[in-house]
Amino acid sequence: MKTPRPLGSVPLAPVPPVAGQTLDAQLHLLDRQVLDSGGVPVTTVDDLELGAPEGEPETPMGTVIPPGTPAPVLTALLTGPVLGTRIFGGRPPSSRLIRIPWTDVASVGVVVQLGVSGQGLDADWVERWVRDKIIARIPGGRRDPR
Amino acid sequence: MILGDLLGTPVHDDDGVRLGRVADARFVVDGAPHRLMADARLLGLVVSPHSWSSFMGYERNSLTQPWPLPQLLRWRHRGSFFVMWEDIAVLGDRSVRLRRGYTAYSPALDGSGQE
Repeated sequence: MKTPRPLGSVPLAPVPPVAGQTLDAQLHLLDRQVLDSGGVPVTTVDDLELGAPEGEPETPMGTVIPPGTPAPVLTALLTGPVLGTRIFGGRPPSSRLIRIPWTDVASVGVVVQLGVSGQGLDADWVERWVRDKIIARIPGGRRDPR
Repeated sequence: MILGDLLGTPVHDDDGVRLGRVADARFVVDGAPHRLMADARLLGLVVSPHSWSSFMGYERNSLTQPWPLPQLLRWRHRGSFFVMWEDIAVLGDRSVRLRRGYTAYSPALDGSGQE
């Protein structure tokens, strides 16, 4: 039975102030374009992976979380073949998703800026493959247009 | 844990009363420092009783244009609230349960983050 929240008509208190930048996943991260350190588009953020902070035990899932358990942290931006699951629901298996470690993220603004080159990331392997196997075989395809 | 599995999950209080669905997860970049950015820890969840999909977050900022989109979207998300990580008792595949006596905060962004 769906019951409305009892505090519906009461003005709610603001969230206690925090020191760092606040990021709402859907507003500031999901679907944002990811650029590498050279400003080259790499991919978009399809999902996010959370994990326990370094040195802490995994956050219990499905059981009561003991009070004082450290909050999980973002461990990776996820990207991958999600077009079908966006339309029909669900998500690809975790193993099919490509991870960009959070430690490679330099800033989050209108776009997500990485602090590393996209050349070493798995996220844009399709683009590299097309460049090396198809574009490069077209006469003039190895010449940099710039 | 993959965030997409959490979004849209029904949220219940300690008595099993359904409060809504997880509409968003809020992070704060104040964790352990790294070479580029500090860890972004989960600050809490935005719970919406009517709709878990969010369009540009009009219900969490003070924008009023273009009329009537903000007004309609705020109405769609009426009754939304934010609950801190400390008030979450169980994170399950099919349900999130809050601790007894949890505190509901305004889901509005305070302006120190991005709007």
